[in-house]
Amino acid sequence: MIEKIYDKITGETCLKYVHQSGTEIYMLPMEGYSSATAQFTVKFGSQDNSFRTSSGEYVKIPDGTAHYLEHKLFESEEKDAFSLFAQTGASCNAGTSFDYTQYYFGCTDKFTENLEILLDFVASPYFTEENVEKERGIIAQEITMYRDNPSWRVFTNLLEALYEKNPVRLDIAGTVESISQITPKTLYDCYDAFYNPSNMFLCVAGNFNPEDVCRVCEEKLRAGKIHSVETEPFDEPYAVSKKITRLSMPVAKPIFELGFKRSAVYGMDEIKDYIYFNLLFDMIFGESSEFYEKMRENGLLNDEWNVGVFSGRGHLFPTARGESDKPELIIEEMQRLIREFKKTPPSKTLFERVKKATYGSLIRDFNNVSSVASTLTEAALGGVSPFAAINTAASADYETLLEKLESLDEENASISIVENKE
Amino acid sequence: MIDIFERKQIADGVFFNRITDRRFKANRINVSLFTEFEALSRADCALAAYALSECCALYPDYSKLSAALLDLYDASISTATSSRWNMRCTEIVGSALDDRYALSGEKLERELAQLMCECLFRPKAENGAFDEKVTEMMRAELIDSIDSVINDKSRYAAYRAAQTAYIGEADELPPTGSREDALKVTAKSAFEAYRKILETARVEIFAAGCSDFKETEEIFAREFSAINRSCTITELGCKPSALKEKPAYAEDRFDMQQAILRMYFKAPEIKDLEANFLLARILGGMTTSRFFTNIREKQSLCYYCASFTDRSKRALVCYAGIEPKNKKRTEEAILKELRDICENGVTDEEILSAKLELRTQYKAIYDSAAGLLQWYLTMLANEKILSPEEFMETLESVTSDRIRDVARQYSLDTVYTLCGKDDEE
Repeated sequence: MIEKIYDKITGETCLKYVHQSGTEIYMLPMEGYSSATAQFTVKFGSQDNSFRTSSGEYVKIPDGTAHYLEHKLFESEEKDAFSLFAQTGASCNAGTSFDYTQYYFGCTDKFTENLEILLDFVASPYFTEENVEKERGIIAQEITMYRDNPSWRVFTNLLEALYEKNPVRLDIAGTVESISQITPKTLYDCYDAFYNPSNMFLCVAGNFNPEDVCRVCEEKLRAGKIHSVETEPFDEPYAVSKKITRLSMPVAKPIFELGFKRSAVYGMDEIKDYIYFNLLFDMIFGESSEFYEKMRENGLLNDEWNVGVFSGRGHLFPTARGESDKPELIIEEMQRLIREFKKTPPSKTLFERVKKATYGSLIRDFNNVSSVASTLTEAALGGVSPFAAINTAASADYETLLEKLESLDEENASISIVENKE
Repeated sequence: MIDIFERKQIADGVFFNRITDRRFKANRINVSLFTEFEALSRADCALAAYALSECCALYPDYSKLSAALLDLYDASISTATSSRWNMRCTEIVGSALDDRYALSGEKLERELAQLMCECLFRPKAENGAFDEKVTEMMRAELIDSIDSVINDKSRYAAYRAAQTAYIGEADELPPTGSREDALKVTAKSAFEAYRKILETARVEIFAAGCSDFKETEEIFAREFSAINRSCTITELGCKPSALKEKPAYAEDRFDMQQAILRMYFKAPEIKDLEANFLLARILGGMTTSRFFTNIREKQSLCYYCASFTDRSKRALVCYAGIEPKNKKRTEEAILKELRDICENGVTDEEILSAKLELRTQYKAIYDSAAGLLQWYLTMLANEKILSPEEFMETLESVTSDRIRDVARQYSLDTVYTLCGKDDEE
């Protein structure tokens, strides 16, 4: 049965269908568009570094396994997935994040054929000693490429500083050393544990017929026993692991990123925290804030300044990143301002202005096919309606914002700095 | 597919290009001002562009301008200086939600166009100079931006390689100029450059989205007509890069782990641009390309190896992220793939894959206002302005022989490597 989810604000209707295997399918047809995109997502990311076997024991996985598996899934005994998509003209790719792996294609023709290829290749692992070994060098190159990237390093170092146990602190691709432990058996074991249909979902947007999607899913998705996968629980301390972390590498000016650690929240609570802390940080530290104006005038910040919220399964924190010769001063000033705003809150007028802007920005997410598909995926990952974020922003109230401000522990923060050693 | 593109002249050297499609939820306005690099200092022009999106007479500081944009439901205005067709392109770009989503009936498109005009025509300036405080801040940020090229190794490699590949040409230097030039910019020199741009540039305004943009057209026509302009640029087009007598080799060393290889091939006389385009795709521009299949997948020499063609320069650029020890092997592997096409052409399957992938890409352009805008802007350098579908049709007749003939015209011009300090020679 197909459930219709209508949204008054955007005027869009999302269709939800749950396959008997447990796979959830979200579809948003967009009239008049030429292209369509389908994203097939498994809740298996770099932070899932263990799983529980049928005997009840937890098996540890080498860091970077989810990413390695993503690379290898494109291969098959006959034609690889890239070649199959090349025959239809679709573009395809995949990506691994902290809490999920995603396979996707974009096309303007032969949608159902492409969907069949996508569901087929994700369901057909083919790992051999030879092809797993061949990939090791390529992934090692990818790892070194990211290690040369100061923007990525400042971010991953921040995660390490904020979290002591939460595996989100591990680099997505692992290390050259950790991937050396990955074998075909590791990949098959992880595939069997995580790539079960009830741990996966499909999001489709653009020019397609929803009935075709349902038909292809009926044909291709494996119906079996629905089972959940468990990863080893961890007890993340409340406090940050390190207040400050520094790394030397060639950069023109020190780059920094800071985060205010919070306890993990899920579902609608996560959406609320995401929207309200975005609103709050835009109000007090955003581009139109007095703070930013003052910092720029004093030469402490430049136009490379961003504030926002980083969130995913089991982690959420308000964050800011920029370039400064004195990054420690920035975090101190931000902490002082948070204390001050707790005593004298920012104005309601400012709140309404930023709320309106957030609403505008979220509407624009429904402006093109791939961003609509990504919005559906993000909502499915969080277990909420595709329109939850836009509705939360549209109905945000000042009192809740003040509660969120009050709940922010400005001292429980870390800063990561990348600076030139020379 | 309905042709939704319209173009007209609205003032001396000023053209208004309209792309309307009611599916979109937002509107985008892009004003591109083209000037010759030689005529004005790069840093003066770059700083002027910075100053225009920082504030204006009506909103005299950044926080006030940002607040005005937030009031327009997170509209945005930005400026940039880039190189296009060997000319300086000073751009001011704005975007806003469509009026039908405004909660209180605000006219967002009109307000955006007016606000862009406030920034472009009435900057915060007096006595023939930008505001001193703004200039000081913009100078510091321009220098930060110039210096920051080292933060991104791929960008740094492209910047340094261009100094050898395009020596003596407009793109030898970055469009924003050097740190030394930036230090010399004054409030007066930047303002004078700004006025010159406004008075002499060839201006291409693009409006793309769901509106009919009648008000936007009127607003910009009024503003540009009020200026005493003398536009000297009549044509936007290709300027092929000169091929060196023998290949140049350059190398930089840095504190880094992965090496980056860039190879430039040139064919200044090339005429068959359609075959040239497919050549770059088949070599290294798609997931079933020769570089991806043979150099990455079969030989595991790199994480990425790709190619693109610079249509305006008649250059083919190949680049790869490699283990330093594999530099020579990758260089040879790239040469081998090109040589193979010169000798044997390409397969029917390769041509078909490239055409199918391009067909998907071109049809998908119609789904994005920004994509359509960029497409038609790029088309200005073409002899005839074609829609994405029409352009695709011109590719249909390309054969293996034509691709082979184009490949044979290319000669190696420059090899550049960025590698670690301790990597072997």
